[in-house]
Amino acid sequence: MKKTILSIAIAGILVLSSAFSLVGNKLVSKSGHVNFFSHTAVEDISADNYKLVSTIETDTGKMVFSVPMQGFEFEKSLMQKHFNSSKFLNTKKFPKSKFVGNITNLSDIDFEKDGTYTANVSGELTIHGVTKAITEDASITVAGAKVTVDVEMSITLADYNIAFKKGKPSTNIAKTVVAKIKAEYN
Amino acid sequence: MKKKILKRGLIVLISGLVIVGGIIFYMFNQPHRDVQATKADYKMEAVQLVNEYLKNAEASNEKYLDEEGESKIIIVTGTISEMSKDMNSQDVILLKNEGDKAGVSCTLIKNENISNLKTGDIITIKGVIRAGAGYDEDLELYEDVIMEKCKIIKTINN
Repeated sequence: MKKTILSIAIAGILVLSSAFSLVGNKLVSKSGHVNFFSHTAVEDISADNYKLVSTIETDTGKMVFSVPMQGFEFEKSLMQKHFNSSKFLNTKKFPKSKFVGNITNLSDIDFEKDGTYTANVSGELTIHGVTKAITEDASITVAGAKVTVDVEMSITLADYNIAFKKGKPSTNIAKTVVAKIKAEYN
Repeated sequence: MKKKILKRGLIVLISGLVIVGGIIFYMFNQPHRDVQATKADYKMEAVQLVNEYLKNAEASNEKYLDEEGESKIIIVTGTISEMSKDMNSQDVILLKNEGDKAGVSCTLIKNENISNLKTGDIITIKGVIRAGAGYDEDLELYEDVIMEKCKIIKTINN
């Protein structure tokens, strides 16, 4: 009888501790910045978003970014309207863009030790309802309890069915834009 | 006589061009919508907005989001559960009741005085909705409703 109680207690402790370690291995960021930049000979267009949510599972290397698309702010109101409209990103239908991937060289990164590491991140990016495989290098900085990730994703708009066939947008927006992402985890 | 007609035609043409040019110039440089100066579309409890999204995200997006990004302006009331700063040094207040799955994350406009606020206070905020709440199976987290351009319009200190 005593043995049973003891084993139940041990099992209970094991379950609890594994549950805690699961929580402990996940870094969450609600403080981030996404900058979208397009360069053409005609003009440079830039937009900023500060409402990124991201997670990293330090034991599996899973990395997720979720970006609310209507949070992008442009200098010009008209550009912002175009960006959101059904002709371009259709943010009413697709309010969030998401990256789900893995750090493929996880053994090179020590989340317990201060330093800057280069992580090879490979996964799927979903924008405008279209999902594509991408691979990028991310920089991970560990400073005490704070972890910062910097990554640049180069996005070819046509891959995500964002096409500008004619008019001003086709000449003023680059075919490939850069999304610079920075996230702080604790 | 002919000269007079020509002259009048020219004046009409030029003034027409100036007007059209002015309209185009205005269109390209029109200012952003001033959220605080615009009448609110809805007034509700933060909990109610979150629950609508958790119940039916698609219908809620249809109701609250605008195709050109000029989404609904909402006045929400809720309990402060967290206060932080974002990477643009803007204050962010999370309205969420203890034990709730998700809340409303409000990014305040600059120069809002929040020194008198603390967690547990009940406040009323006016802002524009950017995205709804919901469970994300990749993040394995509930995401909050996102509101920006927010201004505090009423505070009840607890």
